Amino acid sequence: MSKSLIITLVVVSICLIIITSHYLKKDRIPIKYSLLWYLFSLLILVVALFPGLFTIISKTLGFEAMSNMVIGIIIGLLLLLTMALTIMIAGQKKKTILLIQELSLLKSEVKEKNK
Amino acid sequence: MKRVLIIIPAYNEEENILDTYKSIIDYNKKYKTNYDVIVINDGSKDNTSKICHENNIPVIDLINNLGIGGAVQTGYKYACYSNYDIAVQFDGDGQHDVNYVKDIINPIINDNAELVIGSRFIDKKAEGFKSSFSRRVGIKIISHLIKFASHKKIYDTTSGFRACNKKIIKDFANSYPSEYPEPVTTAEIIKKGYKVEEVPVKMKERQGGESSIKAWKNVYYMLNVSLYLLIIKFRRYK
Repeated sequence: MSKSLIITLVVVSICLIIITSHYLKKDRIPIKYSLLWYLFSLLILVVALFPGLFTIISKTLGFEAMSNMVIGIIIGLLLLLTMALTIMIAGQKKKTILLIQELSLLKSEVKEKNK
Repeated sequence: MKRVLIIIPAYNEEENILDTYKSIIDYNKKYKTNYDVIVINDGSKDNTSKICHENNIPVIDLINNLGIGGAVQTGYKYACYSNYDIAVQFDGDGQHDVNYVKDIINPIINDNAELVIGSRFIDKKAEGFKSSFSRRVGIKIISHLIKFASHKKIYDTTSGFRACNKKIIKDFANSYPSEYPEPVTTAEIIKKGYKVEEVPVKMKERQGGESSIKAWKNVYYMLNVSLYLLIIKFRRYK
């Protein structure tokens, strides 16, 4: 891996850590999701600092280049994250529907009583 | 005497809602029946809500648009909280005829069924509006899929004209799919072991306004419903 790529990866990783910490401090991301982002950043950092380790793994797994494996892993993790988000949104939608229904029922009941 | 509630979901139905309501009130007077009505206004952008309030039509205004499933479920919740014995789903667009309400609630009153579907396709000789050709093909495919998922043949799978008893009202109030509710709930109800029956009804063409199912959406609709029914086949219900 070239020196400049290592530097890029380290910078990206540190940026991710700073951004995550920033939002965590402002209470905009819940702890459990921030963990995932820290894990991401750490993974990138490890790849940058110990490329030899990953070269061996990627060769064993049949990737032509180590960078391919890194991209593959990241895409896989992103897909998982998207899936988790889809499930979360569906859960949120259910709760919103419930709220709209119950609030509308309540509102019409109040209106009826004040007639 | 069983207490009957007619649930009318309405989204932008300013042209039809008053006539629909009046037809039920006239029927009540003529045949001395006691059908209560509740209109669920699904966040209409037109004057549906205004017309309802001006004419003293019982209405629940949803504070935001929920789509057909969420709107109908609100009606079932209302029926559940108000302790109704039978709930009838009835379209606000003038397609359904109040004269058939007694036919679809009779099997429930006589304890022969728990969910009754008003069907356009049982009585082959009957006239009346039977939908376009492509729509009928779709309904037939869904019919086969419901048979596959639940082992019972239902002919008019997308009919929104149906009645159910107290147990199913409670079931629907607790959980109701927000999309493609008719075929999906029918299959689920059969799988849960409820007694389901179809009775012949005639339907009219929409009197005005626009149907919620547009032509270009049909393929997408079929794809979703098919997948949904396939999942139901492999789901377990207690």
